[in-house]
Formats: sequence, structure tokens, C-alpha cells
Amino acid sequence: MSRDISDKTRTGVPKGEVWVWFTSLGLTLGLSMVLVLFGLILVRGLSYFWPVPIVQIELQEGSESAFLGMHRFAGAVAKTQQRTERVLVESPEADAAEADRTVRETIPDTFAEIQLFLGNRDYYGQSFRYFRDEDVVGRTRPEAIIRAERRAEGDGIFYARELVLEDGRVVKRAEDVDRFESELDRLVGEARHRRAEINRIDRRHIGRINLEMSDIEVELRYFRRQDRLTSEEESRVQELRERRDELQRRYERLETQSDALKRTNESIRLRYERADGSRDEMAIGDLYRFHYPNRLGVSGRIQTFMIRAWEFVSGYPRDANMDGGIFPAIFGTFLMTLIMSIAVTPFGVIAAVYLREYAKQGPVVRSVRIAVNNLAGVPSIVFGVFGLGFFVYLMGGTIDSIFYPRAQEAGVPTFGTGGILWAGLTLALLNLPVVIVATEEALAAVSRGVREGSLACGASKWQTIQRLVLPASLPGILTGMILAMARGAGEVAPLMLVGVVALAPNLPVDGTFPFIHLERKFMHLGFHIYDVGFQSPDSEAAIPTVFATTLVLIILIVIFNLSAILIRNHIRRKHQGSAF
Amino acid sequence: MRSPRKREHAPRAGAPIPERFRVARSTLIFDHAMNIVIKTGGIAVVGAIGGIFIFLLIQILPLFRGASIDYVGSFELPDLGIQAMGIDPWSEIPFFVDPDGTLHFLEIVDPGAPHNRGWFTVAPPLPPDTAFPFARFNQRYGKLLFGTDDGRFTVVNLNFEQSFPEHRQREIVPRLSGNPVIRIGRSDAVFEELDYVDAGRTKLAVALQRLGDGTSELHAVTLRATRPLIGDPVLRRDREFDLTGLFEGVPRFVRLTGDADFVIVGTEEGYLHLLARTRDGFEPRQTHRPFHDAASEAIHSMDFLFGDLSLILTNPEGRNVMYSIYHDEGEGHRILGRTKVFDLLPGGRGADFYSTSVRNKAFLIGSGNQAAIRYATTNATRWESELDFAVEHALLGGRYDRILFVDDANKMHLFELSDRHPETGLRAYFGKIHYEGRAEPEFMWQSTGGGDAFEPKISMVPLIWGTMKGTVFAMIIAVPIALLAALYTSQFIRPEMRGIIKPIMEIMESVPTVVLGFLAALWMAPLISGSVPSALLVIAALPAGILAFAAIVTALPRPARRWIRPGYEFLYFAPFMFGIGWIAWSLGPVLEGILFAIEDPGTGAVVADFRLWWTETTGAAFRQRNAFVVGVFMGFAIIPTIFTIAEDSMSNVPRSFRSAAYALGASRWQTAVTVVLPTAAAGIFSAVMIGFGRAVGETMILLMATGNTPIMTVNPFDGMRTLAANIAVELPEAAQGGTLYRSLFLGAMLLFLMTFLVNTLAELLRQRLRERYKAVE
Repeated sequence: MSRDISDKTRTGVPKGEVWVWFTSLGLTLGLSMVLVLFGLILVRGLSYFWPVPIVQIELQEGSESAFLGMHRFAGAVAKTQQRTERVLVESPEADAAEADRTVRETIPDTFAEIQLFLGNRDYYGQSFRYFRDEDVVGRTRPEAIIRAERRAEGDGIFYARELVLEDGRVVKRAEDVDRFESELDRLVGEARHRRAEINRIDRRHIGRINLEMSDIEVELRYFRRQDRLTSEEESRVQELRERRDELQRRYERLETQSDALKRTNESIRLRYERADGSRDEMAIGDLYRFHYPNRLGVSGRIQTFMIRAWEFVSGYPRDANMDGGIFPAIFGTFLMTLIMSIAVTPFGVIAAVYLREYAKQGPVVRSVRIAVNNLAGVPSIVFGVFGLGFFVYLMGGTIDSIFYPRAQEAGVPTFGTGGILWAGLTLALLNLPVVIVATEEALAAVSRGVREGSLACGASKWQTIQRLVLPASLPGILTGMILAMARGAGEVAPLMLVGVVALAPNLPVDGTFPFIHLERKFMHLGFHIYDVGFQSPDSEAAIPTVFATTLVLIILIVIFNLSAILIRNHIRRKHQGSAF
Repeated sequence: MRSPRKREHAPRAGAPIPERFRVARSTLIFDHAMNIVIKTGGIAVVGAIGGIFIFLLIQILPLFRGASIDYVGSFELPDLGIQAMGIDPWSEIPFFVDPDGTLHFLEIVDPGAPHNRGWFTVAPPLPPDTAFPFARFNQRYGKLLFGTDDGRFTVVNLNFEQSFPEHRQREIVPRLSGNPVIRIGRSDAVFEELDYVDAGRTKLAVALQRLGDGTSELHAVTLRATRPLIGDPVLRRDREFDLTGLFEGVPRFVRLTGDADFVIVGTEEGYLHLLARTRDGFEPRQTHRPFHDAASEAIHSMDFLFGDLSLILTNPEGRNVMYSIYHDEGEGHRILGRTKVFDLLPGGRGADFYSTSVRNKAFLIGSGNQAAIRYATTNATRWESELDFAVEHALLGGRYDRILFVDDANKMHLFELSDRHPETGLRAYFGKIHYEGRAEPEFMWQSTGGGDAFEPKISMVPLIWGTMKGTVFAMIIAVPIALLAALYTSQFIRPEMRGIIKPIMEIMESVPTVVLGFLAALWMAPLISGSVPSALLVIAALPAGILAFAAIVTALPRPARRWIRPGYEFLYFAPFMFGIGWIAWSLGPVLEGILFAIEDPGTGAVVADFRLWWTETTGAAFRQRNAFVVGVFMGFAIIPTIFTIAEDSMSNVPRSFRSAAYALGASRWQTAVTVVLPTAAAGIFSAVMIGFGRAVGETMILLMATGNTPIMTVNPFDGMRTLAANIAVELPEAAQGGTLYRSLFLGAMLLFLMTFLVNTLAELLRQRLRERYKAVE
């Protein structure tokens, strides 16, 4: 030790200072990983909504970048980069003696390129395309170009040319630009209203009829299988048949209504021209929204950004989930988390109160505590497996055999298949240890003095717990709850086994009796990411959507976490202030 | 703490409690009620947690149970002179073929019930004036073979249909259709063995005949199906081959493999000859002596297992082996080889009766009153018993659910067989198994496959391997980063910074793994796959970079060092880190050009591409979604876990320890390494273990970024399949209660046990540590 002191006085550098720096690498790396991750998600997620200008490029005749024989393309710049490719070069041997031999080598060839989002997937067969800078001879930003959100096949990027109205009149852009554009605005707006009406009919009215019809069918199928029917059963069959016929008539009436609207939306057509000069047309009903990207000023961009973001979080998905909104997934995540919280709170709190206040502290309780603690570390998929075996098959199967025997016999499980209730309960079980541990910690933090004071005043044990201990530990319990919710909202693996689906036809809550349908399958943000990123037909085109969904999920999780952290800090401050 | 209620009940004798001290009755009742509610509730919740384990256990227990059989009843058989017997696919109407060729069916379900048809006979469509003393039934293909005594045979197709008569019980109805009679072999000898196989285009029959002089001849006939203008195709004789000269010895058994490519002949002398069908004839391929090491070399019985690729052989001593056709890498074509050796048959005699299941690889075998059901894949004896009658014929039901024995007194005994998971067992899950068609014993997971004779391969070992591989790669990335960060944060950083860093790490911990998996697979994997050298260079450059940077900074003269405030080192280094990382990344292609260049055999050009170089030099695959990428992102997922716990245990080292070290003149690094690290070692170890537990059970990242192929390699640039991902992939499709379903539960149980044990160990360590600190304070 004495040598150390002398060292220090000599050089002025304490021993091991280099290694202190070395340890800081770990923290710097960890923090920058977080930074890069969140930055990436934020930038890529937000840029999904941001309207970018459309560039129209002209390629050199016969250049390598041309494809499908076209030389003019319009698209949004997705990426610009330097790329090095190795090119095979043959040259005669330098040595004169072996001049007839050729030397083959690859030499690096570095060039700049841009990646354009071309849209029009139906036409190009792909959404993104690289073009070498050297091949591009002209770049323009045409004012009139439109970026359109379409029903299917992703966005379209084109020039609108003509409108064919319902009565066959043609409005040409070339004749009167202003009139054409206002007409286009009007027609797209009207089409949107009609679509909303169609949706209302299809989803609400027809959906309700379909549900009732399928129930009737299940019951009828049951009766058909019976050898002999009693007179009561015969009359029931008769009643069901009449009801079915009436529903059928109503269904047909509604369908005529919705068909008429659909026909109108189909009959108004927009003729357009793509960058390469090819012409095509589409029904106005397939054009969901459009903007002129190169005309937008900053405020216009912000406005478009807001509209797109709002439609994303409030809309329904379309085109194999790759387009449209994610409202059902947000709603499903929310409702499932809610069910989970409702299920987990009482049980978690009761178990913690028991362990901390009622059970005799000893080796048994200690080992139970360790077991509960460790259950938090058991992989979530194991809970999923348990949920499938226990909740879905055992409990659900039992409920079905008691309450829905006819449907079960017909092979249509009601609760005996994955659903939002089972998913919520599975996650509740998964988070039970988290809540128990958090509650126990919060209970332990309530000082002995408070309890003893209360007891000395003659309060009973439960009165003490109810009036003093629980209120004092409430923020702690709340923190645990919120962390459990954050964990629940982000968990996907167990849900894949107990009821999450890529596309659910109905929300678990709707206007049909009994309004909350806990047996229904549901959509979930996390699973949406997995499904769109990995199961969609064109995963490259889907990546931007996935980033946007990821952003929504991350925001949700961060909100949960921040509120938990804030509450906890608040408690800490309160505790520091108190005199205990 | 004593219960307040007790005090209530112990008033001082004689003195009445003043009114103002008396507790209201309702309060007491309520308190009592809450006592009960919380106690039962608490115990129930804690019990429910244990219930998870018990439920999983109940689900997997049936996997390790053997078969059991229950006696159902006996049936008197008329004196038929049974030539062959068989049963329908639903095991409801067994039938017996008499020497006239008539099929006698007996409905064995609900005997005595009004709808039971009892005995009924069906005459097959055979030529009227011919006798067919030879009969044999192939259960799998539903084909009856009839042979005359003058060298002719015919094939009768037997199908079963379900019919539902109006308001009556379902009935199984046999349907028979005939074929022309075909000549085979010599016309002056009776058949000893006859086999026929229909492998689509190729249809082949062989006949073994014994001549009057005691010699035997073996003939093969190929058949063609010609399609007339109207009606079903008709079998016609194509070519005949004499196989007698292709092998030595007296043939006794002959079998055709299911693909009609091989004829396998067993001889009196105990040899097994493999004859392969070539374009224009047959050629001998191999000769084996299955029982060359036994006292009695003779072959006593020889029968196919389901799938018609493996032979179950016995010798007179009761030795039982299996020979299979498989593809041999060395030979380059398919060969016959011994693949299994079973236990000695009970009773020590060769098999006199044999029946293969047409559902799986089980077979019923035995002699006299000894019978056993064995499962070929796992070498397991599923059931074995001594019966109280001597068996003449035995048959396994079409769904592997019933057993029929016909005894020497012409009585049929019916048993229910319950063996729902015959292919399972410890060996199947954890042992190397020689699967049919494979060259050697292997660990394999392949739960579903084409063909009805597919045998599910359910070894857990490749999955455990994959789990461990992913975990190890994640730990290699995560442990150094997390521990360095924890040491720095707990010992060197400014306290006010710590308050910011811990919540950041907590938020990082709660990033959903599906997000990490998505980024790993769709963002990182394509990025890395083209720039592996860059990535390697970055990994090497960062530690080297910081050491060099630190050496320079500490060597600076004191005044110059003054602007660096201790506790903020990580912020000073950050810009340099990005600089170093960026330089290293862009130097990657240079490194690639120097180290990883190979000559392309096609063009002769030198190509610098790590992917090609890796496959070329190591012979291992390079896949975009690989263990390396998974390691980085799983590391991401577990860094916060390890960091938080390690940081806690380090910063909880009693202040007095550190103060003492400082007082003795130790530098902050010396204090950290010699005092803090050893004291907190147990906590650090438990942090690493909890991180390990988390990595083991991680699902989404692995599901998305590994490719999910269950292979066993250490190659960092190849994928794998983990236990957890396997469950996520296969459980949604698995039928409830089936073998796959329960096997996946077993996988879940393994995960549960692994993480539970590791976490318990970690928790115990931490508790001990806490007590140690308490003792000091």
C-alpha cells in the first residue's frame, strides 16, 4: 500500500484509471444501443406518416437501371447510398511471355444510388427500386403528381387525367385544371361517405344478422342430427326456420342497399397516367385519400401528417393488414390489458397481504416467497402453454359442454378456443408474481410504528390494514400494476397460443347483445408486428407499416413505464420527507 | 406481531371492560371474516401457482406410460381352417379366409345388440372352377393374395366403407373387386410364399415354390395395368424373372419392399439376401447373416414393419433384430443394414405370430402363450404378458386399439389396447435414435411429414441445443457489456447521473421482444449479412479504442486532465466511440479483401466475400438469420436484467467497506476490484444467472430471427430452433391430447424447470448476500 501512495504522488494518476475508462465502455455501449433503437423506431415510424416529395427521374437510354423497358419513374426517395460492387475484369497478362493468358480479377466499383418508393405495386410488381445516380439524366418534381392511398396494392403514384362520372360524362384535366381538381376532391369525399355507409351496413347490420344466423344454423344442425324430435323440439325447429328466413330477407334488403352504394363507387372512374406514360383507370371507391406531395408547404405537410397518423390509429386494416389503420389492434391490446389488470389485482393483493400480514413468517413462507419471485422468471411461453391447456381446453371446454352443448357437438367451440378472456387471464397469471412482489415490497415499507399505533388505539387487524396499511402502500401497488400492464401489453408469445389472430372480423366489444364478447378472438399490436413483418406477401413493402405500428406500441409501453417511474419517485420523495 | 383479538379475549379477571374500550361486535365479525377470506384467498393463490407445475406434469405423464390391455370377450369360431385373417380400419369386423377363399366376417362391437350383424360371409370375385389353397392379406394396402396349386395367383382388392342406414347405427361394409388370374413360376409346384406390391407404375409379384425334389425356386413377375375403354384398369402380366440363381442357399422367406425396388430373401441357412430391381432384371446387392453371433443362426420369422422398409427378424432362440433399407452416403445408394436389436423374446422362442400396426411402428409378436407389443423406433417393449391360452394367430386392430388372438382351441379373444403415445419415452426424447431410412442414429426433431408411414421424430436434444446456442451467444454479448456498465454505474459515475441511467435501463428492459425480433430479422440481419467483417472489426475496435483513448487521456499532464470530470467518463468517450465504430465499420470491406478472399472455381476470379469464404473454408452454411444476429438482439433483451441486479448488489456493498479501502489509500479502481467485486460476487453471479434464465425462455426474437431449423451446429452464422420457438411454431397446430401436443408440453416443462432451478439458485445466493451485508451493518 505504501508503494501506491508514492506512485500517486509521483505521477498524479491513480492506479487503474485506464480500466475505469474501460468500464465506461459498457455503459456508453448500453446507452447508445437504447438511443439507436429508440431513434430508429422514432424516425422510421414517424416518416411513415410524413408526406415526402415525389421525384420524377429520367434514365439514360439503355442504362442498367432501367427495368421493364421503362426509362421514366416517379417515386419518393427512400434511401441514398454509396454501394460497392465487385466487377469482373479480364486483362491480358502483364508478363509478355504469357501474353496469351488473361488475368481475371474483381475490382471494386463504387457508385452512388438512390432507392425510390415507386408505389403502383400492381403495375411494377414491386414497391422499391434502386437506380444508379450516373444513369439518371433528369430529375423533376412535377406539381401535378398524386400520391393515392388505394384499397389494395399499396399506394399509387400517378397523374390524374380524366374523371368518368356516373352518367358517363367525362371531365378532363386538360380542359380545366381547377374544375377537374375540385371535382376530384368532391368525388373522393363523396365516395368516402358512401364507403362509410357501406361499412356501417356491412359491419354493423349485416354482421349482426350473420352472427344470429350462424347461431341458428348451429342449433338446427343439432336438431338435424337427432333421431327423433319431441313436439316441442319440432316447434322450436319451425320457429328457428322462420326466424332464419326473416333474417335472410332482411339480409337481402340490406345487401341491395349496400350494393347500390358499391355500384356507385364502382361506376365513377378515375383515369390516370403513370410516370412512364402508361394509362390505367380505377374506381373512385378504391381511392381512399390522395394528396399532391410536391405542392404541400410545411403546414400542408403537417396537416397531411396529422391526418395520416390519425387514420392509422383510428382506422381498420386492409390489404392483408399491410395498409390502413391499426385501431382493432390498439383496442384489442387495451381491452386485454384491462381484463388482465382486473383479474390480477385482487388476487395479487390478497396473496401479498396474506404472505406479509397474516402468514407466520418462517421457512415455509420464505420458500413460498422465493417460488413466487422465481415464477416471474419463468418464460412467458410456458404460461401460454398452460393457458392453452388449462383455460382454453379445460375451462373453456367445460363451459362449452355446460352452456353451449349444441354448438360444441356441431364442432363449433365458443369458449373452448382461444379468446380475449383466456388471453387476459393467461397474462394475469404471468403477471401475478410481479404484482405480488411489488405489493409485498410496498406493504413492507409501511413502518411498524404506524401499525402498532393503530393497534394500540384499539383498531382490529383488518381495520389497520384497510385504513392505514393499504392506503399507504397504494402507490407501490399501483407501480407494480402499471409495470405489469406494460409487460402485458408487450407480450406476444403466450398470446399466439390463446387467442390472438392476424385479422379479427369483429371487435370484442360491439353493439350486439351482450355487448362485451369475451370469447372472441382479438388483434394485438405486438402480434400485428409479427404478422405483418413475417407473414405478409410483400414483406419489404410492409416494413414501413411495421415501424409505424412499433412506434405506437413503444409509445404505449414508454407511457406505462414513465408513469410507474414517476409514481415511484413521488413515493420516494414522500418517504424521504417523513420522519420514520 | 400478536393478534389483537387475543388481547380482547384475555380481560383481567373480574374487572368488566369499560364501554369505551369495548370493540363493536360487527368490527370483530368483519375482522374475523376478512381473516378467513385473506387466508383462504392467499393460500389459494399460492396454491394456484404450484398448480401450474402440477397441471403441466399431468399433461406430460401419459407420455411415459406403457400400453395396457383389457380383456373384452371371447368368441367361438367355426372350424374354418384359417388361411389368413384381417380387420377393417375401424377394428370392428375382423374376417377369416377359409381354404375355399370365402371371407367370414364377424362384427365384434356390441355383440347381441339388435343392429349387430354377427357372422356374415362374402365370397371374393374369384374364377369359379379354381381352388385357391394359398391366401394372404396385406392389411396396409387392403389386398388379398390368392394362389392356386398350379402356379397362378390373383389379387383381390378389399376396401371398407362406412354406411349410415336411416336411423340406424353406422355400419362397416366390405367391398371387394377382383383381377385376372396371373401365372407365376412353375405350374407343378405349390406356393410356399407369395408377395405382391403395387408401387404406382411398378407392380411386382414374387413367388417361392417348393418342388417335389426338395429344392425351391423363386420367380418374380412384373405386372402392368392396362386401362380398357370402359371400366377399371386391368392387371396384365408383363415379364417374368427367375431369381433362384441370384443367391445361394434354400430360400424360405421372401418379401418385397413397398417401393418394389428390392426383393429380400431369407434362406434356411440363416442368410438374408438383398436383390435389387434394375432396368432389365434383378441383381444381388448384399448378403447378411442376421444371427451370425447367436447359437442358432437360422431365421425363424421375417416380417415387415409398417412402411415395408424394415424387416423384423427372429431366430429360434427368441433373438429379435431389425434390418432396414436406408440411403448410405458412402455407398451412394440404398442398402440393407441392421438398425435395431430388441430384447430377447419372452419365452426364449422364435416368433410364431406377428402383426404390425398400420398406424405406427408398433408390432405384436410372440409365440405360444407369450405375447409382446414392441415399438420399433424406440426399441421399447410397450406391453408384455403371459396369456392363459396358446396363440395360433394374432392381429393388431386397424387403429392400434384392439388385439385379436385366435387360440389353438379355435376361440377368438378380444382385447382393448390403450396405448395413446407409443412413440414416446425417455429414449425418444433424449436418446440417439436410428430412424427408418437414415444412415445412423441421430437426434432429430421433425414432428410432421409426408406419407402415412412417416415416423415422428421428437427428440428434445436439438431443441435444447438450439436454446443453449442462442443463450450462449446472447450471454457472450450481454454479460461483458452489462457487468462493465454495472460496475461503472455503481462505483464511478456521478450519483446524479445514476438517477437518470437506471430508469433508462428499466425502459429498455420493457421493450417488447417482438420489436427486437422484428428489428433483428428485418433490419439487422440484412445489414450484417453483407458486412460481417465490418461487424467483427467494430467488436474488436471498441475495446481496443477505449483502452488507447484512456491511455492517452491518463498520460496527459495534470492541467490538461482537469477538464475531464471523474464520473462523466462515459459522456466524454461517447463521440469517440461513434467515431471509432464508424471507422471500423467502413474499414470492413478492406479487411474482407485481405482476409476473406477466395478464388471462385467457376470464373477463376478472386472474390472477397465473407459469406462465400465462410462456406468455402469451414464447409458450414451461412444464413442471413443466424445465431450471431440473435446473440446481439437477445443480448439487448437481457442486458438490462443483468445490469439492474448486478448494479444493485454492487452499490449495496456497505459504504464502510469502501471507505476503509479509500482510507488505506486505494484508488477507486483498486477499491472496486479488490473490495467491491469480491463482496458482491454472489450478487453478480445471480445477476448473470437470472439473465441466463431470461435468455433461455425468450421466444419472439428467436422465432423471428433464427430461421427455426432444428439443426445441431455451433456455427454462429447458421440458425437453430429453440424450445420456446418450437412451442410457438407447432402448438397452435397440434391436436389436443395428441403426442405432439404433449411433447410440446414436455418442452414447456423443461423450460419451466430450467428457469425455475436457475432462478432459485440465484435467489438463494442473493439472500445469503443480503444477510452478509446485514451482519456487517
